[in-house]
Amino acid sequence: MNDLSLTAPALTAADGAVEVTDHLELLAVMGRDFASTLDIDATILKALEHIIRHLHAEGGAVFLLEDEGRTLHCTSCVGATDITGLKLNSDQGIVGRSVQENRGEIVRDVAKDPNFNHTVDEKTGFTTRSILCAPMSVKDERIGAIELVNKSGGDGLFSQEDLQILEVLSVSAALAILNARMAEALVEQERVRRELELAAEIQRSLLPEAPLDGFPLYGVNVPARKVSGDFYDFFVLADGRICFNLGDVSGKGMNAALLMAKTASIFRCLGKTIPEPGRLMSRVNAEVCETATRGMFVTMVGGVLDPRTGRVVLANAGHEPPLVRAADGTFTAIAAEAPPLGIAPPLDPDDTYPETELWLNDETLYIFTDGVTEGYLSDGGTLESSGLQRLLNDYSGLPVRQRLDKVVAVLNRGDNALRDDLTVLAVEDGRIWAATAATDAGPAAEEVPDRNGEELLVLEVPARADRLKLVRNAVSETATLCGCDESVARDMVIAVDEACQNVIRHAYGSTGEGSLVLEIRRGDGEIVFFLRDFANTIDVEAVRPRDLDDIRPGGLGTHFMRAVMDEVAFQPPPQGGGNLLKMTKRIA
Amino acid sequence: MNYEVREEHGAVVVALEGDVDLESSPTARKVLLEAVKRKAPVFVDMSRVSYIDSSGVASLVEALQTARKAKTGFALASVSDAARRVLELARLDKVFTIHGSVLDALSQVKS
Repeated sequence: MNDLSLTAPALTAADGAVEVTDHLELLAVMGRDFASTLDIDATILKALEHIIRHLHAEGGAVFLLEDEGRTLHCTSCVGATDITGLKLNSDQGIVGRSVQENRGEIVRDVAKDPNFNHTVDEKTGFTTRSILCAPMSVKDERIGAIELVNKSGGDGLFSQEDLQILEVLSVSAALAILNARMAEALVEQERVRRELELAAEIQRSLLPEAPLDGFPLYGVNVPARKVSGDFYDFFVLADGRICFNLGDVSGKGMNAALLMAKTASIFRCLGKTIPEPGRLMSRVNAEVCETATRGMFVTMVGGVLDPRTGRVVLANAGHEPPLVRAADGTFTAIAAEAPPLGIAPPLDPDDTYPETELWLNDETLYIFTDGVTEGYLSDGGTLESSGLQRLLNDYSGLPVRQRLDKVVAVLNRGDNALRDDLTVLAVEDGRIWAATAATDAGPAAEEVPDRNGEELLVLEVPARADRLKLVRNAVSETATLCGCDESVARDMVIAVDEACQNVIRHAYGSTGEGSLVLEIRRGDGEIVFFLRDFANTIDVEAVRPRDLDDIRPGGLGTHFMRAVMDEVAFQPPPQGGGNLLKMTKRIA
Repeated sequence: MNYEVREEHGAVVVALEGDVDLESSPTARKVLLEAVKRKAPVFVDMSRVSYIDSSGVASLVEALQTARKAKTGFALASVSDAARRVLELARLDKVFTIHGSVLDALSQVKS
């Protein structure tokens, strides 16, 4: 008996040993398959085929949980009836029960189980007699289930042992699926990370390049994440003034970054032709509104600095009030007088935003985003405007670059993630820079190196058509004085007269206002004419001689000037604005 | 600038005198276009034009174009040196018919 009793389990074990060896082999094969591929669907199908063969089932299916666990989706199926793609509620059928209760199910005879879902059989004509179902789960994470139908041979019903084997195999499958999913997520994360890097790079390229020392504007931008919803920009206009902005897009993610890129581009593009901040901001608003994303908006301060005079004109669209620091350390805030961009489309295309004018003579203008004032200090408090003012006073002795870096370092300590993007722009009194830049860029109006030689005439007249005869006579007499013959004198009269007409008609727009100054100098073998006006700087590129094959009235004047003179060239905009034209006539 | 418009031998003679410049060219333009509308050949006597600028030349060009559309004659006569230089600069000296004198011009109308 003892022997028997010992032998019996031993026999069973021995019987099972053959089986278990097979099971281990199967596990090893499945494990190898799972490990060698990330194509999880193909591997599961292959594993299912192994399991079906091994457990002598007529068919089987793998169900995966989807829709946050609400649906069971048949992703692989082997056997007489293909139910791949079938979707069940996650509590439906025997597979549903197995998943919900996270335990194996054996229904030796479906006819006796009330949970059996007959609809598939009814649809397919297949007769299900017996079902074996094991949940796939790893720790608490439920993944799905493997279901086998109808044992072939014998009584056609599954045994408890079959269930145990299936349960072991399903754990292996569950692990493999989870691994593959994690690998997929990692690949996706890596892809997103790379795309963010690229986006951040593009975004950095939208910020202006670090200016040379002494340039009156300097800005800092530290994104809280990879990409930023903040921006600032500045660029020198053709007339020497500097257009600048600083803005903050609502939100912080990729959508904010994209709206930032769009708004910054629109500002830069329009800013080159619309140097009045109020009108410019209104136009930017119209453009942003036209294609605005629901609920997103941009707060922005836009302005123009004339570095020669220190005059700043600002428009504030719903942005944190900029601060002007006086030399004595007191601050004045410039409150917003218009709503943010992207909220209200303009009623009238000619609408302008309210402008504020200020003069930077030893004062500094600071524009910043709320990431600065709401930034956390090391003691857990926030910086606030008062804290920012204190820092700016503490570091007022430093050059602007170090000063802003110090301010940012107080908030961006590296010990904590930034709460929001940090952006600060400083606009300083640029008169010293302007004076140096004018010398670097070439002759300033008042002390042109080639204004040597002998001054023959300086004549200032109102820019009006009825004064042109006066100018012509003066040129004619001056030419005669220089010994020019009649034809040369006549040509010089033509060129100067046409140049004056251009000023009256194009620079001043025939308003009858303004004046022009003609200066005639005699140098070595040449007579030089300087014609100066005080109108807005004109687009030199637009002043081109006309095509003479195209015989139409108008546009001839510039051609006459170039035909008659040896050199005709606009000079760099003189200090104090306006235009300066230089024409040279060589004489024998 | 002064001007005189007269009819001679079925033609209209417009005599311009003085400076045809930015100030006076609107007047010159008006006078020339009115002359062209008379549907008779127009001769512009430019012997006493002391100065003409691009705006004056533009008025002449516009009158010529209008005359061509109306298929009436339009020519310049007795062009002063000052005006000829400007027409040359504009390379319009070959575009306009230029007669040596008003008399020459009129004789061509008669023949």
